Amino acid sequence: MAEHNESHGHDHGHDAGHGDAHHVNYKRIYLTLLGLLVVSVAGPFFGILWLTLLTAFGIALVKANLVIQNFMHLKWEKRIMKWVLATSLVLMFLMFAGVSSDVMNHEGRNWENVAAQAAVERGIGGAEGEAEAIEVEPVEAGFSAQNTYNLVCATCHGRAGDGTGPAGAALDPQPANFTDPAFWAERDMERIVTVIRDGGAAVGRSPLMVGWSASFTPEQIQQLADHVATFRPSGE
Amino acid sequence: MAFAKPLATLRSSTGIPTGRLAIWWVLASEVVIFGGLLGSYLMFRLGHPEWADAAAVTNVWIGAFNTFVLLTSSFTAVLGHQAAERGDGKQAAKFLFMTIGGAATFIMVKSYEWTTEILHGYTITANGFWAFYYTAAGLHAMHVIAGAVIMGFIAVDAWRGRELQRVELIGIYWHFVDVVWIFLFPLLYIAK
Repeated sequence: MAEHNESHGHDHGHDAGHGDAHHVNYKRIYLTLLGLLVVSVAGPFFGILWLTLLTAFGIALVKANLVIQNFMHLKWEKRIMKWVLATSLVLMFLMFAGVSSDVMNHEGRNWENVAAQAAVERGIGGAEGEAEAIEVEPVEAGFSAQNTYNLVCATCHGRAGDGTGPAGAALDPQPANFTDPAFWAERDMERIVTVIRDGGAAVGRSPLMVGWSASFTPEQIQQLADHVATFRPSGE
Repeated sequence: MAFAKPLATLRSSTGIPTGRLAIWWVLASEVVIFGGLLGSYLMFRLGHPEWADAAAVTNVWIGAFNTFVLLTSSFTAVLGHQAAERGDGKQAAKFLFMTIGGAATFIMVKSYEWTTEILHGYTITANGFWAFYYTAAGLHAMHVIAGAVIMGFIAVDAWRGRELQRVELIGIYWHFVDVVWIFLFPLLYIAK
């Protein structure tokens, strides 16, 4: 009964003249793909950076193109579909172009991504251990809550803890003022620790206060919280 | 065997059958989903030289084997499409089942790979690289599973000679899943 389905509407969308047979030698395409796979795996063995990048990403582009044109038959598809797909690709590149400079750089004229710098520092510092490197815990030795506060937190919260750090002025809402009795009226130490660890959004407050769990150990976060508590006005 | 086709199967205002138009639209949105994810990975990777150490841990041979599996499954999928165009539903179904076999192999290899890595402490929270690794490959694996399930339904229909045009549609989707892996492979396994 299958034979009766022959004119199944397949050739509707294909350009006239092609019908439903695309005369593609699928086997040849498949073998080419496998050959390219071997090359992309072999590339890194030469130890030449540009060659590795070429065999990895250049060949990925060639393989993807072979599959898209010959297996997905985009070659024979109506032009409008190519435009739709191209639009998606353009959106992707726009996204990349729009944000990549902020992500790839860890400092600019008026800003500094301390967490990212710390991550690079840790990663590079522990790199000698090769595979084990990523398991290295944030360094405990030499940690000083006060220094870290002045280096990291004070940017927004101010060295005196009064919420008047240089980078904080532009923020809305304003950074918390630890010297304000009203601040302490509704917060306990557990909450301070939570916000340092998971960020303001974790307790329904401003996401501009980011979480630091990736940069500091729980003990260090506790020490930072204790340091914040030193700004608490006495008598509260 | 004559059966009434739903109007939407044949109607077309773009010159593309509605079903195929729909699958291309799905893929256009998938390009943005995977493109956004991989683009983000790329910019983070370039900003974090230390990720190279994490990437060095991934197993190139497992990645290469799975690439081979997906390329082969794409090949069987397109052979299924060819059989469907000839009107040979049974043959098309056979090729689709082989493709599903490829999907199952891929997922089994992935399970083994992930289990090993997780047991060694490389979990999704280990660092940024592993977060992207599990997110990107996980999203891809979900596409593999979903595709295999849908392919199962289509293969059963095709075996009975029904809805053969769907063989091409699931094929187009499957090749896309293959293409995503073609990029994931160098991004996560080769570039050390």
